[in-house]
Amino acid sequence: MNALEIENISKKFDSFYAVKNLSFQIPEGTVYGLLGPNGAGKTTTIRMVMNIIIPDEGNIKVLNQKMDEEMKGRVGYLPEDRGLYPKMKVGELLLFLAGIKGMKGEKAKQEIDFWLERFDLVDWRDKKVEELSRGMQQKLQFIATIVHQPELIILDEPFAGLDPVNTKLLKDIMLEMKEKGRTIIFSTHRMEQVEMISDNICLINRAEKVLEGNLSQIKKQYGKNTVLLDYEGQASFIKSFPEIEKIDDYGKFMEIKLKEKADPQHLLSELVGKIKINKYEIREPTLNAIFIDKVGERNGKDPISH
Amino acid sequence: MGKILSVIKREYLQVVRTKGFIIGTLLGPVLMALIIVIPILSSMVVVPEQETIGVIDSTQEIFNELDKKLGYTMKDGRRRYLLKKYEPQAEIEELRNDLRQKILAKEISAFLFIPGDVAADGKAEYVSEHVSDFDEIKSIHEALNSVVIGKRLKKEGLEPQKIAQYIKRVSLRTIKLTKKGEEEEDTGGTFLISYLLVFILYMTLFFYGSIILRGVIEEKNSRVVEVILSSMRPFQLMMGKIFGIAAVGFTQYVIWALFGLAASRYSRPLVSSFFPAAEFRLPTIPAYIFVYFVIFFILGYFLYGTIYAAVGSMVNSEKEAQQLLMPVSLLLVVPMLMIVFILRSPNSSFSVILSLVPFFAPVLMLMRISILLPPFTQIAGSVVLLALTIFLMIWLTGKIYRVGILMYGKRPSIKEVVKWMKYK
Repeated sequence: MNALEIENISKKFDSFYAVKNLSFQIPEGTVYGLLGPNGAGKTTTIRMVMNIIIPDEGNIKVLNQKMDEEMKGRVGYLPEDRGLYPKMKVGELLLFLAGIKGMKGEKAKQEIDFWLERFDLVDWRDKKVEELSRGMQQKLQFIATIVHQPELIILDEPFAGLDPVNTKLLKDIMLEMKEKGRTIIFSTHRMEQVEMISDNICLINRAEKVLEGNLSQIKKQYGKNTVLLDYEGQASFIKSFPEIEKIDDYGKFMEIKLKEKADPQHLLSELVGKIKINKYEIREPTLNAIFIDKVGERNGKDPISH
Repeated sequence: MGKILSVIKREYLQVVRTKGFIIGTLLGPVLMALIIVIPILSSMVVVPEQETIGVIDSTQEIFNELDKKLGYTMKDGRRRYLLKKYEPQAEIEELRNDLRQKILAKEISAFLFIPGDVAADGKAEYVSEHVSDFDEIKSIHEALNSVVIGKRLKKEGLEPQKIAQYIKRVSLRTIKLTKKGEEEEDTGGTFLISYLLVFILYMTLFFYGSIILRGVIEEKNSRVVEVILSSMRPFQLMMGKIFGIAAVGFTQYVIWALFGLAASRYSRPLVSSFFPAAEFRLPTIPAYIFVYFVIFFILGYFLYGTIYAAVGSMVNSEKEAQQLLMPVSLLLVVPMLMIVFILRSPNSSFSVILSLVPFFAPVLMLMRISILLPPFTQIAGSVVLLALTIFLMIWLTGKIYRVGILMYGKRPSIKEVVKWMKYK
C-alpha cells in the first residue's frame, strides 16, 4: 500500500508554476526524500499534501484517502518555518496541539509525558515556550509533530539549523518511527542526510520532477565510474587528464567523474608519486554529485542565471 | 467543531490570564465610578477660597446694594466675596494703579471699577490676575447688572421687584410620552448613562478588535500558524479566534455588570454615609436598552472582529497594521462624531439612513434607541442588514485570511489581496 500518492499535481501562482505536473508514490513504512534546490517547489508540494494550499490540478491521496480534516489527525507535519506560541506553557501547548489532532485526555497526557521524558524536557513543562533555548524549542517542535502518533510524518527541511546533537536525535527518531511502520517524507537540499536514511527519493527542480526512484538503483544507474580521492599536495594537474569528465575539488578531497570507458586504475597510476594519496575509492557517485549534475545541467542552460 | 472549541479555549485562557486583562477588567468600573462620582464630590469637597474684591464706586450709590447681593456665605460661615470700598479720588488713574499693585501683592484678588455714568453707558471694569473663573465673574457680573438695572428702573419710577415678577421666566417640565403613559424623566442622567453605554460599546469594539489583530499577527510572526493549519482549516482557526475573544468580552462584561449592579444597590447609602449633604441618585435606564446593547455589541463585534482578523493576516507587524486600520477606525469614529447630530434629530431621514448602515449601526442605532425608541421595523432592519453584512464579511475575510496568514514579507497591495480572493 502507498502512504502517499501524488498524481499530476500542478500549482500556479499568477503566471509562475510553483509545481508542475508532479507525480510520485511513497510506499508505506519507508523514508522518502524530497530533494531540490531552494525554490524548487518542495514546500509548495508539501503544503498541498497537507491541504494548506489547494492544487490547481491533479489528485493527492493520503493513506488511501483524499485529504480532509479528519485525515489531518493521522498526519504529523513539521513546517519549514518553525513556530510555537511563545507565551504558552510547554505542557499546555503540547496538550493543545495534540488536542487539535484529535488526541485528548489521559492518552494525550501519557504521550506528552513520554516524549518530554525522552527529550529531557520534563523540568520545562510549566515554563513558557519563550523561556526555552533554541535547541529546546526545536526538540519541542519535534514532539509537537509526532505526539499524536501519526501514520504519515511530513518533515519540511527537518535538519535546517540543528546542532549535531539534535541532528542525531532527530535521525534516530526518524529511524525509530520507520521501524514502527510509519511512513516518513522529508524535504531537504542537504544530500548527506538523504543518503543515509532515505529508501526512495524524488528530485525536483524548477517545479518539475527531474529524477525519482529507489536510491540505490539510481546510484547504480550512474555506474561505478566515480573516484573519491583523499589527498595532500598540488593536484590541479589532474584537470588536464583526457579520461576525466568532471571534477569537484574541495582542496583535500576530490570527487572525480570519469568518462564512460576510462579505467580508474590507469588514473591511479598517473597520480602515484605526484601527490600524497590517503584514500582512493572507486564507487557510485554521491547523491550530491548526481544532484549537481541534474540540477546544474538544467540551470546552467538558463541565460538569466549567468 | 471540536477543533474550533480547542482554539476558543486556548484563545480565551491566553487572554484572560494576562495582566492587562485583569487590570483592565477591575480598573474599568473604578474609572467609570470615578467619572460619575468625582464631579459630584468635587463640587462639595473643593472649598472655594474667600476673595477680597476692591470696588471703586464712582456713582457712590451701588456699593451697598452690591455688597448685599454678594453677601452670601460659604459652608464655614465666611463670606465668599469680601467687598472693600475704595473712595474714588480726583485722580482715578492713580487709585487704579494703586489697586493693581495691591492685586499683584495679593492684598486683594481683584477690583471692580464702576464709572459714574454706568447706568447710562452700561460699562464697568473688572481687573484680576486670573479671569478664567467663569463662575466667579458670572456672579459678580450678574450682581452688578441687577443693581444697575434696579437703579435705572427706580429712576423711571418703576418697582424693581414687580418688574422682576413680570418678567419671570416660565419653567418647562419635560415629560416623555411612551406607550405606557407619561413618564417624567430626568433627561440628563438617563442620557449620560446611554451615552456611557454607547461609549463603552465603541471602546470595547476597538479593544477586542485589536486583541484579535494582535493574536493573528503573533501567530504569523511566531510562524506557529502553519503548525495549526496542519490540523484545521484556516477558517476554523479564524472563527475559533473570534469566538474565543468574544468569550473574553463576555466575561469582562459580566464582571462589569456585576459591578454595576452592586453600584446601583449600594452606592447611594455608601455615598450618603460619607457625604450626607450630597444629592446622589443613579439614573435608571429601561431594561430594553441593555438588551439592545447586548445585541448590537455582539453584532458589532463580529463585524469588526472579522475585519481585524483579515487585517492582521495581511501584515507582519502591528506598526504595519496601523496604516491599514485607518479606514477601519474611521468607520468606528464617524458614528461617534454623528452622535450630536443624531441627538438633535433622532428621527430625521438622515439619522434613520445612517443608523441603518451596517458599519455605523452598532453605535448609531443604539444611540437612537436610547434617545427615542425608533419603530421596531427600523431596529429589526438594521439587525438584519448587520447580520447579512457579517456573513458577507466572514466569507470575504476568510478568503483573505487563508492566504494572508502564510504570506510573510512585503505587505500586499490591494491588487494582490483581490488576487488572493480568487485563489482556489
